[in-house]
Amino acid sequence: MTTQSPPRSGAPTPSRSARPVRRRRSPFLRALPYLIPAVGLYGYFLLYPMLDAVRLSFFTWSGFKTDEPAFVGIDNYVRMFTSDPVFWKAFGNSVIWVVLSLLVPMMLALLLALGLNRKMLGRNLLRSVFYLPAVFASITVAAMWRWLYNPTLGMVNQLLEAVGLEEWTRTWLGDPKIALYSVFVASVWQAVGFSMVLLLAGLQNVPQELVEAAKIDGANAWQVFRNVTIPALRPTFIVVVILTMINSLKVFDLIVGMTGGGPAQSTQVLALWSYTQSFTNHSFGQGGAVATVLLLVSLALVVPYMLWTMRGEDK
Amino acid sequence: MAGSRLNSWDRGEEELVAPQDARKGGAHAPLLKEAKVLNKKKTAGAFLAAGALALLTACSGGSSDDATPDSTAGGSTGGAPTGEVKIWMPTQEDSQSTAWEAIVEGFNATYPDVTINLETRSVDELKTALRQAAGTSAVPDIYWYWEGSGLGGELVDVGMSRDLTDYYEQYGWEDRFTPAALAGVTQYGGFHGIPWTQQGEALYYNKALFEEAGITELPTTYEGLVEAAEALKAAGITPIQFGGTVNWHVMRLLDALIETKCGADVADELNKGDGDWGTEACVTDAFTEFKSWGDNYMNEGFMALSNDDSSQLFYSGDAAMAFEGTWFEGNIVDNGMDVENVGIFTFPTDTGRLYGFGEGFYITEQAENPDAAALFLDYATSVEGQDLAGNAWAALSVNKEVDRSDASALAPTWIEIFNAATGIYTNNDQNFSTAVTTEYWRIQNAVLLGDIDPADAGAEFQSFREANQ
Repeated sequence: MTTQSPPRSGAPTPSRSARPVRRRRSPFLRALPYLIPAVGLYGYFLLYPMLDAVRLSFFTWSGFKTDEPAFVGIDNYVRMFTSDPVFWKAFGNSVIWVVLSLLVPMMLALLLALGLNRKMLGRNLLRSVFYLPAVFASITVAAMWRWLYNPTLGMVNQLLEAVGLEEWTRTWLGDPKIALYSVFVASVWQAVGFSMVLLLAGLQNVPQELVEAAKIDGANAWQVFRNVTIPALRPTFIVVVILTMINSLKVFDLIVGMTGGGPAQSTQVLALWSYTQSFTNHSFGQGGAVATVLLLVSLALVVPYMLWTMRGEDK
Repeated sequence: MAGSRLNSWDRGEEELVAPQDARKGGAHAPLLKEAKVLNKKKTAGAFLAAGALALLTACSGGSSDDATPDSTAGGSTGGAPTGEVKIWMPTQEDSQSTAWEAIVEGFNATYPDVTINLETRSVDELKTALRQAAGTSAVPDIYWYWEGSGLGGELVDVGMSRDLTDYYEQYGWEDRFTPAALAGVTQYGGFHGIPWTQQGEALYYNKALFEEAGITELPTTYEGLVEAAEALKAAGITPIQFGGTVNWHVMRLLDALIETKCGADVADELNKGDGDWGTEACVTDAFTEFKSWGDNYMNEGFMALSNDDSSQLFYSGDAAMAFEGTWFEGNIVDNGMDVENVGIFTFPTDTGRLYGFGEGFYITEQAENPDAAALFLDYATSVEGQDLAGNAWAALSVNKEVDRSDASALAPTWIEIFNAATGIYTNNDQNFSTAVTTEYWRIQNAVLLGDIDPADAGAEFQSFREANQ
């Protein structure tokens, strides 16, 4: 029996000459035709407006098509940093909101996820109950909590009075010292369910053999949680932290619905102030400058965290 | 241009002149003159005219040569008008929607081929939509807006509004409206817009609560008003209700205090001119009084309530006064309060001027159907159209022939107030640009909350104005 091996040199056969061409096409080039529509839409509806907002921050423009934008260099930034009476308040509030969002709802979500990951009666019902606020539109949540906080008829003050804590009653949304935190409570109520579901999904992916092995090695519950559960939840934490950071930086509708940024701009945040400058005050250049700062802050927070966590995964 | 029919609602069937012909004194001009002569036969509403004349002396630049009442005409070229007229307005109350439908129905009875399409938006959305549409083909044929320089004036500046001088000549609108109403549309030169309402704002009070507090005479001085508030407070009654979340509600009190403490001339300089808020002592006095009202006489928790929520305190008899406008009587009735128990008196500023503002309909420069738009507005502001409008938008009509003294329980009081007024001082959110208004509201609220000392408020506001010039 003889076999015919392919020639090792000389003129390539037609079939051989076709193969190398196919091999040279990178996966990217092969995917490109499928990517173009999505990239086009993404570029037009997301990237272009984003870059245009940055461009606009170097112009002064009233928003009228009939009014030509005038280039002013960095004047909008100078004004924003030096003479805008609200910008720094909005900046500070955004920082407070991000920090609190990373601490309070995440902690509560983790506790709820750990609690509801156990086999217990009514577990699914409780999961649904805690997740339910996450499906409500923010403006609905705002209307509901605004009513709860109503200084005369609201349930919060009435409850406090009913249990003898009249001195604790407050104008929850009308006092600039506590208004931001009052809104934040509503935010926690709404946000915690979503993080809880993500963490629950993560907990169900914790390898049980590792847990068992740790227990056999004598680890107590805390040690199992600290050394097995938490590391296994790392990918989930990455998602939850990034989503929380992004959502907290762009918080807008809840504040609009509950306080409109007031009283006296005390609950103003960067996203809302950018909108207010552009669409209420009709200073699109100023609004663009605030939006640019928000974009840079978002990138400064999210990108390093993503790089750091991805490096961790590679190791 | 061939003439179309005169509208049946005012003058029966006659030929009419097109704008261009009338302007040039063309072949149809005698008909216009004849129409005016016919209109002279109509009897004017005496009390409204008197009120209008009183306001004219102080705030109007408009005048009319004769007493020609409604002049109406068709606006199409070459026959009955056709097509769509797109109109943008803020979201309407139920009573306003009902009245609007009646007006459109009345108009379509004569002009069935003109389709009136109303689009409504919330106030802020309307402002945004108009700004975005300005200069584009997306603009409506007609938009409703406030006439003040910070709002209506801004859209005039950018060329959104069409100068309606030709239509004013064609329809004789100069003779139709009260001088005060005309002042709002002539303030930018030419005729921008057609008046729809002339609103006044004053203090509504609960008669029973005033009596309970031992107040037997209405305050005629600012000191008297403070004494009344003190008496109400001593009787355990909330003197006045405000909702702080909407900013412009509480602003009414600050505007009135600026007028009271600074006087008409200085207030006008501060609000509309180059007056210095940082150096006028009266500004500090006004903010000081403002803070005192917030601390002592307003409803508890007002800063966290909307005006709708706080108004419930007035309807329910839990607050004695409300600083509201001519439209408020409808709200009182809708909310089940006995209007016989309600009276009105002006905020005692001692300047004689009434707090208020005008609202109008504007035809856009890019309107696709301006003739039909003008025709519709002509009907809406005619005697017939205004009778259908009733007091849904305001207690008084801008049409000086329309007598609304019997329209509602409080209409006669408003007529007295308008007659007695020597002029109008306008809400500052209409005087200022929107950016300056935002800062004005921040400072007013910060003063009320104690974050800014009344003595520093004027200087801080002035500093912002200068930085944003």
